[in-house]
Amino acid sequence: MSNTVRVQPDLKFVQELQQVGGESLKKCYQCATCSVACPLSPADAPYPRKEMVWAQWGLKDRLLNDIDIWLCHNCGTCSDLCPRGAKPGDLLAALRNMAYRSLAKPAIIGTWMSSSKFFPILFLIPAVIYMFIWSLMAGKLGTAFPLFVTDGHELKVAAEGAIIYGGLFPGDYTIDPIFGAVFAFMAFAFAGGVASMLKSFESMPRTFIVGRGPEPSFLSCLIDTLKNEVAQHSRFTNCGKDEKDTERVKGHLLVFYAFVALMIVTGIVAFGHWFGAWFLQKVMGLEGGIAAFIAWSGHTPMPLWSPVKILANAAALALVIGLTKLTSRRSALDAAKSTSNWYDWYLITVIWGITLTGIGSEIFRLMGQKMLAYPTYYLHLIFVFMLLAYLPWSKLGHVVYRTVALAYARKIGRLPMGAQN
Amino acid sequence: MSNNSILVVGGGFAGITAALEAAEVGHEVYIVETNPYLGGRVAQLNQYFPKLCPPSCGLEIQFQRIKNNPKVKFFTMAEVASVTGGPGAFDVKIKIRPRYVNANCTMCGDCEKAATTSVKSEFDFGIADRKVAYSTHLFAFPQRYVVDAAACAPGEMDAIKAACPYDAIDAGDTEKTLDLQVGAIVWATGWKPYDMEKLTNLGGGKLKNVVSNMQFERLAAPNGPTAGQILRPSDGKAPKRIAFVQCAGSRDENHLSHCSYICCMASLKHVTYIREKNPDAQVTIYYIDLRTPGRYDNFMQKVSADDKLTLVKGKVANIVECECQSPIVTVEDAVTGIKSEEKFDLVVLATGMQPSCAGAKLPVQVPVDEDGFIIGGDDKGVIAAGCAKLPLDVMKTAQTGTGAAMKAIQTVVGR
Repeated sequence: MSNTVRVQPDLKFVQELQQVGGESLKKCYQCATCSVACPLSPADAPYPRKEMVWAQWGLKDRLLNDIDIWLCHNCGTCSDLCPRGAKPGDLLAALRNMAYRSLAKPAIIGTWMSSSKFFPILFLIPAVIYMFIWSLMAGKLGTAFPLFVTDGHELKVAAEGAIIYGGLFPGDYTIDPIFGAVFAFMAFAFAGGVASMLKSFESMPRTFIVGRGPEPSFLSCLIDTLKNEVAQHSRFTNCGKDEKDTERVKGHLLVFYAFVALMIVTGIVAFGHWFGAWFLQKVMGLEGGIAAFIAWSGHTPMPLWSPVKILANAAALALVIGLTKLTSRRSALDAAKSTSNWYDWYLITVIWGITLTGIGSEIFRLMGQKMLAYPTYYLHLIFVFMLLAYLPWSKLGHVVYRTVALAYARKIGRLPMGAQN
Repeated sequence: MSNNSILVVGGGFAGITAALEAAEVGHEVYIVETNPYLGGRVAQLNQYFPKLCPPSCGLEIQFQRIKNNPKVKFFTMAEVASVTGGPGAFDVKIKIRPRYVNANCTMCGDCEKAATTSVKSEFDFGIADRKVAYSTHLFAFPQRYVVDAAACAPGEMDAIKAACPYDAIDAGDTEKTLDLQVGAIVWATGWKPYDMEKLTNLGGGKLKNVVSNMQFERLAAPNGPTAGQILRPSDGKAPKRIAFVQCAGSRDENHLSHCSYICCMASLKHVTYIREKNPDAQVTIYYIDLRTPGRYDNFMQKVSADDKLTLVKGKVANIVECECQSPIVTVEDAVTGIKSEEKFDLVVLATGMQPSCAGAKLPVQVPVDEDGFIIGGDDKGVIAAGCAKLPLDVMKTAQTGTGAAMKAIQTVVGR
């Protein structure tokens, strides 16, 4: 028995896994139903059966470097068919949660995001920042709930006027610099997370695929991934076949494209303001024509008939429909088959928060209810901050991590069994 | 005054054994059997463990013992309608369904020839048809035909009656009830194969060439629809590649959570049928882990030496069929970690044992577990035996029958 392999189980790791959502993993008896049930797992070393045995054995290194946790789209078919109620789908979700927690730095945010008990800290950070701005501006304007009239390019506080959020929370000096910094912070955290993820994938042994040509470049794989898996949800659509799975895809597509639309709206506003109004009009001194159009197109508040505003409102509606589908599916989950964890509920809560406070801000503004409008907008800022600043440590981190993993899987030829593309 | 007689519910191997053991020490025994014949599941097998005997082998002796013992009375097509009283003094109401055939029957088969309507044969688990006037199998005991009046076409009963040369058809037969006073009850209602239509991912009941292990027994049995030739149902050709799917619905929280004990052995036994009848066929058994308890391991060693048999650790979780109706199974070999699709000519689902009384309201007050097995009741004078109690092989079933007879005697004696 000279070549006996000694398994060194990491028991603490097994317990950690059980805590973050893999509590049933010990029930698995390795029948391999799950690997067959999974419509996305590849023919060679399919998941999630091997992850179940790695988890039982406490093979931490294998699990932390495992690309397959990102190839899973969590339809739950494996858990539905599991004869033991071992919930392999929940285990892979738990492993992804561990990855959200540990991939990006600083690690303290990962800790805060891992449990509902830290939620107040995450909420209070933006709440304090925006309350500071609000009180500062209230002092300057002489009221915490101002109404404005437009005087040329300037806004003036008046007794009879309109609610203009940009008057209380000026974009140039408060909103844009803060969100700019938040965005840079997030991008930086993601860069570190992606780098360590790719390094971990590289460390894993690869399958030699007979008859495969030269390996494509990562960039071309990334483009293919964006075209197929991201834009068309091609894998997601194949993940699970029953009614609730198709509803999930519809809900996700609506929310995804709503966010794309809102990103475009934000882009137009930023472009109109910073390029049109600031650069062209103010710096270059151009008047009229194209410069005025660009500046106008990004000027807020927009009239309701503006195509940009129509796009924004359509996106808000899509968010409500999509979120309703996703939330109702998640609340109807059979607890014996699959359970939702804090990462799931955090994301759903924050996106609902953004959606409802966003719609509320618009409605209260149009109704002229300043006492409701400004607090709602304040909450809206908090929720947007919570989505963006903590994104790499939240479940929404999959937008980057899964995309990179899917592109990498294309590069190494790790495709679902029978898939050509 | 306590009653010395014993009621045995179920005329399968456990029930017959219990009845004979009690009768042969002097107790009056009544067997109540819902089928038109005695012998239960064993009668439907091709061969049974431990010695791979044909069912006639063991049952013939039992039937002789029943015939020769005036203390044993049995009722076929009968069910227990109600039970009142307690240990030592039960009042039992028995309901006997009409058979429409009296004791004049000589099994000549003229009635069957006269019958025109066919329905699915319960005895063959639906893989063949029977007429409305039928005998389940050659070896049926009692040797008497049955007429399925409910399925008869208008006027068909008259034609059947007219065809009988012995005046054995009693078209006016009706349901009868019977009151029995007994001191103890042996509950030996046995098992039924788990409904394979519930195994939707395995194509159970949908794909023609996916059969259950009990259907496979009928295919291999000389008194079965193919006269013992193993042929696939879709086209009647001899299958060259056969797969067995173990734990089809057993050890599964979504179906039967228990292990049915004998299915691994049954599939290994089926390999010996195939080797005898289709010597060149390739066989694969897909399993989670092969459970071959005790001395059965010797049998496993012997069968697995077959070089045309492959044992693969991995549960089949998906079966579809190709255009030629050959089943395609998807399975991950958990040892090599490779998931693949394999095409076979015939797939046998090793479905498990579900207690016959699962889900039904029993006329006796006995505790049952979540799967419907009886887990007590001895103290109330109701003693479970055989597969009503837990999944067993025939040998152990007989042992529980003897044990139940002992407890039943203890219940009625010395009160």
